[in-house]
Amino acid sequence: MNDDTALGTVRESLATARDSLTGVQMRTPLDSIVRNGRAARRRHRLLALMISTGAVAAVAVAALAVGLTGGTGSAHRAGTIRTAAFILVSHSDGTATLTINPLVLLDPGTLQSDLDQDGIPAMVTTGSFCSSEPQPAGLSDVVSSEPTPSGSGPVADPTITIDPAAMPAGTELSFGNFQAAGSQQTSLTLVSTGSYTCTSTPPALATPGIITLTNSQAAQ
Amino acid sequence: MEFSEFYESARDECLRVVLLNVGDRLLAEELVAEGFARAWMSWRKVRHLQVPQAWVVRVALNVNVSRWRRHRREVALGSHDRPAPAGQDAVMSGEVAAALGRLPLRQREVVTLRLLLDLDTETTARILGIAPGTVSAHLHKAVAALRSAIPRLDDQEVRK
Repeated sequence: MNDDTALGTVRESLATARDSLTGVQMRTPLDSIVRNGRAARRRHRLLALMISTGAVAAVAVAALAVGLTGGTGSAHRAGTIRTAAFILVSHSDGTATLTINPLVLLDPGTLQSDLDQDGIPAMVTTGSFCSSEPQPAGLSDVVSSEPTPSGSGPVADPTITIDPAAMPAGTELSFGNFQAAGSQQTSLTLVSTGSYTCTSTPPALATPGIITLTNSQAAQ
Repeated sequence: MEFSEFYESARDECLRVVLLNVGDRLLAEELVAEGFARAWMSWRKVRHLQVPQAWVVRVALNVNVSRWRRHRREVALGSHDRPAPAGQDAVMSGEVAAALGRLPLRQREVVTLRLLLDLDTETTARILGIAPGTVSAHLHKAVAALRSAIPRLDDQEVRK
């Protein structure tokens, strides 16, 4: 038997074996795949962040190990990240509250990284806004506005609550940050992962399907 | 292409190819799910690949080998020096799965991409990051090993 004949015979045998499995079908739902991918990405980024900041202390490693062996992807840390430009509060139920200070220039990389750590897939851009056509439904389930706490002072920074568990599979949040005169505008919407277009024009304030955070009072 | 479209269109093919490699239905499903989860993580890159399902299958096979190596360190397997397919979920094509399972990983990858996913030599070489000539050499050795492991292949040829 020459090489070509042998190759053909093996190919035919493998094809027959493969075709005998026609009834075998994947049972894992798409949502489960995406959930596992998000959990893994969160773990990887947390690990990378710890390494890059040199914060691999024994206690932190132990805490991470607990998270890795847990493996469900549903555990959320509760804590607060406070920067000059924003405050991100993570709650134990998996939601997060984001407050943006319109007077301080937002660093998109920092916000995106911190959102990722909280299991919120997001794309943060400055000077552009990205959206999908058609736009994924469900933004109102994912993002809600926080009422301004009474007695918080004359300047109330815009605050939203994000529930990543409500995000449809294959979507992420798009944050577009624009500098205006003396203040900033941050617009956000849901986009299909890997399928969107970006524009340098800020969306109008009342555009359906887009939430825009601004605070003219703070900008005065 | 959206990830969801890719998953719907490629998941069964990937599962069958990996099942042929590992011979265990539940293990194959787990490995392919891991492969797709990683594809989701890297979708911005994977979506531009010529054959993204080959990427998923390769990840699944590599995950299986990594798990087996880890398991081998943890548990004394005696004379069992290969991942053992079969069990209650063994499929009828278990003979092929067993023969594939005895191939070195690189040969198994080449056979999977070239013969099960029907990719050409150049595409296979690009995916594996090796020279086309190396693909041919691995395929030659793998075919010889499979013929030796599955004697009926030669019988089939004689009867033709």
